[in-house]
Amino acid sequence: MGETTPAPTHWQLFWGMQQVALSSFGGGLSAWSERIVVEERGWMSKQEFVTGLTVARLFPGPNQINMAVYIGSQFRGLSGALAAMAGILLVPFALLMALGLAYYELHTSMAVNRLLAGVITASAGMALSMGFKIAGAYSKDPIALGLAGISFVAMSVFQVHLVPLVLVAGPLAMAWYWPRQPKVRP
Amino acid sequence: MSVMASAICQPVALSDWQNLLAVIWDFLSLSLFSLGGGNTLLSEYHYLAVDKYCWLSSQQFAEIYAIAEGAPGPSSMIVGLLGMGAAYREGPLWGVLSGVMAELAILLPSTLVMVAAALSWNRFKDSPVRLAFERAMGPITLGVLFAVGLKILRISDHDTPAYAVSLVVCVLMLRTKISPLWFMACAGLLGALGLVNR
Repeated sequence: MGETTPAPTHWQLFWGMQQVALSSFGGGLSAWSERIVVEERGWMSKQEFVTGLTVARLFPGPNQINMAVYIGSQFRGLSGALAAMAGILLVPFALLMALGLAYYELHTSMAVNRLLAGVITASAGMALSMGFKIAGAYSKDPIALGLAGISFVAMSVFQVHLVPLVLVAGPLAMAWYWPRQPKVRP
Repeated sequence: MSVMASAICQPVALSDWQNLLAVIWDFLSLSLFSLGGGNTLLSEYHYLAVDKYCWLSSQQFAEIYAIAEGAPGPSSMIVGLLGMGAAYREGPLWGVLSGVMAELAILLPSTLVMVAAALSWNRFKDSPVRLAFERAMGPITLGVLFAVGLKILRISDHDTPAYAVSLVVCVLMLRTKISPLWFMACAGLLGALGLVNR
């Protein structure tokens, strides 16, 4: 893909993605990913990178991990994808496991318990903000808002699980949004 | 596997290989439904870990979610912490092993699909299926994320001060670019001082 640089090896994919993971510890993973992959290492053009982000967001799976998989598979197929994924996951996941061990060991202690009672009110606020963050994109499409409303009520009120919801609402919505259908508004 | 049959919730042990296979299958089959980056799965994780397999209490689930949000890396790594909770009573080593297995199970199918998508993208990027899929899944993801947010709010907050803190954090998340770690630190302090209770 890169015109000037040779395709990265598995080892380079692993280290490059590890660099992305470590650089982005304070946040902004996708910006770091672009800086390292496009500017520093020259593996992809900016345009190729943006295409990758589109694909990573469209398909199921965590966006950042999907992006690593996309980059790895562009150069080295499935094994390259696994090398890149290992690179982006290794340190954060090891750290998470360490935090988890500390949590399961200490969460019964009184001090930790009170601390966590506060912390979860903040993370609940963060969870609540997820929907609002993307809601703006649909504010002018009443059909989309209706679909979102039905999905919300199905899950929150009628306790419908995600899999049946997606399997029923997904095809119906796809039929409605099928691009050749004249009903679709621009 | 009539795990749900009894009203009393007994933690399901993974040492029975039939249970282990059932659990791995549950995570594998959820993988392809992780729309919108994976947060849409949080309600299902809660159902599996708290209601179906009884590894965690609702309160512990809320705490694990907070840890996964606060830790660096994708927040969908919460699956590793759920897996750890499933086997921690057998010992820390089994906890870690189970956590790694759970994470691999949730990532494997979506990764394979992603590889196929990356390699064939040019062929179907303009196909009607792709356009319809993209437009259809967006609104569904939106509705599911609101449902997930409400679910986590309900299991985390039990009194007025707690709801007030959550609402303030939600507004600040949307209006400012302050790192969420600050919100967690401040709320943790409120908890330690006894101003926010369960």
